[in-house]
Amino acid sequence: MKISAANRVRIQEYALVGVVVVLLVVGAILKPDSFLTSDNMLNVLRQSSVVGVLAIGMTFVIATAGIDLSVGSMVAAAGIAGGLLVDSGSLAFMLGALGMGILLGGINASAIAYGKVVPFIATLAMFAMARGLALWMSDKTPISLFDAEAVRWFGNGEVIGIPSAVLVFVAVTAIGWVLLNRTRYGRHVVAVGGNREAARIAGVKVRRIVFSVYVLSGICVGISAILLCGRLSSASPVAGNLYELDAIAAVVIGGSSLAGGRATIVGTFLGVLTFALIFNLLTLMNLAVEVQLVTKGLIILAAVLVQRKES
Amino acid sequence: MRFPVVAACLALAVGVAACGSDEDAGSGDSAKTNTADTTGSTAPVKIALSVPAADHGWLAAVAKDARDVAKGMKGVELTVNDSATDSAGQADQIETMINDKPDALVVLPNEGEALTPVAQKATAAGIPVINVDREFSTPGAFRTWIGGDNYGIGWQAGNYFADELKCKGNVVEIQGLAGISVTELRTKGFADAIKRRCQDGIKIVAQQPGDFNPDKGLSVMENILQGQKSIDGVYTHDDDMAEGVIAAIENANREGDMFLTGAGGSEAIMKRIEAGGLVRATFLYNPTMAASAVKLAALIARDEGMKDLTEPEVPSRIQVPATTVTKDNVADHKGLAY
Repeated sequence: MKISAANRVRIQEYALVGVVVVLLVVGAILKPDSFLTSDNMLNVLRQSSVVGVLAIGMTFVIATAGIDLSVGSMVAAAGIAGGLLVDSGSLAFMLGALGMGILLGGINASAIAYGKVVPFIATLAMFAMARGLALWMSDKTPISLFDAEAVRWFGNGEVIGIPSAVLVFVAVTAIGWVLLNRTRYGRHVVAVGGNREAARIAGVKVRRIVFSVYVLSGICVGISAILLCGRLSSASPVAGNLYELDAIAAVVIGGSSLAGGRATIVGTFLGVLTFALIFNLLTLMNLAVEVQLVTKGLIILAAVLVQRKES
Repeated sequence: MRFPVVAACLALAVGVAACGSDEDAGSGDSAKTNTADTTGSTAPVKIALSVPAADHGWLAAVAKDARDVAKGMKGVELTVNDSATDSAGQADQIETMINDKPDALVVLPNEGEALTPVAQKATAAGIPVINVDREFSTPGAFRTWIGGDNYGIGWQAGNYFADELKCKGNVVEIQGLAGISVTELRTKGFADAIKRRCQDGIKIVAQQPGDFNPDKGLSVMENILQGQKSIDGVYTHDDDMAEGVIAAIENANREGDMFLTGAGGSEAIMKRIEAGGLVRATFLYNPTMAASAVKLAALIARDEGMKDLTEPEVPSRIQVPATTVTKDNVADHKGLAY
């Protein structure tokens, strides 16, 4: 039986809903008084937000059959760029972080779309460069953001009981969903990843689309840096280490294809949630780190196998 | 893995360039004032220092402290290589340094075991090796070892918790990176001390790795705060990581219920200790040990001993104590904070 690409995406989204529900039930049984509380659930969502925003950007990149290995390093560089401007206020911090994210994302984009460098290599180069820049600009020391109240609000503030970081994550997810599923731009992104040649013949400006997704990833880096720095009240040059792997993993278990042409924002959202729930539950149970890592690996494998079977 | 190779090549290139320019400079630097030299001798010596690339405030301070002290020493010409990101890269760098024939080699290895062969090679070539912090696996690989006291950090912390909590309460331990000796020793020293002092009076209710990383420390502590409603004290393995743990506790508005200790001796943590509140103590693991190592290297290269000791040569082991820093003595230690 042949299943169309769109249907397969939908089935995987549902399968992951099942995984999340199973995790919630297991958690509620194992830790009845601390896991399924609204406090802890908001905590899980807040923890998802930093990598979650990156994963939304990554979904667009992966939809074009690309990859961005540099987002973790770029988060550190963006945070430091903002941190250097923090004496001029919170707004300066945010503009600095977003600006650095867009600049570095733009360098990736130019190298890949116009320099014809393979995304894996271009972003691997940026992975090194951005980390170096972060260390260089900060003189290897963290910058305190204690006085930047607005930045700290993004990390720790609340609006009617909901953490502001969660609101930002949900807003980014919603925008990402509309962009990918309800606009011509979104259709073009998926078309480029599905079959570049066919997309070109159909009149899609392939280079421009490829360029745009890495800039989009850079914007997400800037937002993510603001959330992370807000949560820590400081900008650290070593922050964000290996976040790219968490983001890529969330996108892939969500059901988007690394080969491009198939992407799901809802799946990515659920993928991020799955990882955060696993981490939260394993820590609450105070399992030893070796048990945690093996368990985490098994759950990821199980989640993907369940999806395969159901589709 | 392509990247480490590229990094190593780059590092080598930088290393060679640095060596060349230092030779050109000759003894021009010796005109600077001598404030740090512990002996009268100013015979020119060439010292090479190798440390892994800074991925943490502590390592950044190591290289900086060593450079600063060398500037103040007459006749000492210090070459620093601090760009290797893995053990293989650092080994390659040290090989290059050996070829340059320094009078002494100071090495803080990325991993003691992995860099033992290259240290042995240097020793065999007649270059005395001063091993900083992470120890080589055989004494044949180095002339002198100077390092901190990881077990002592745990031990001092355990005793501090026993005193502060009067042997009764719930403690959370946020560890370093799982599977390395630093973390194991800081864990064991703590467990041994509270067991010996309080038997089972103090309970470690949660024990999780934060990987020496503030972001990880934050997330782990947030989760633990959800599960543990009664926490009296938090023992963290590292000052930088503790910043994330502190943020988690403050965000949950629970800083009134508990106290926290760090390890290392960062400036930020010392400021917090001085101000009072959540952070009450840290246990020193002073990066100035690298600066001391440079001084030891100069003594060894000049064939001298430590003038306040009776022996005519430098001892073969020196351990820097894990001094407990609290509000009472923070003023004495702030000057050496990193």
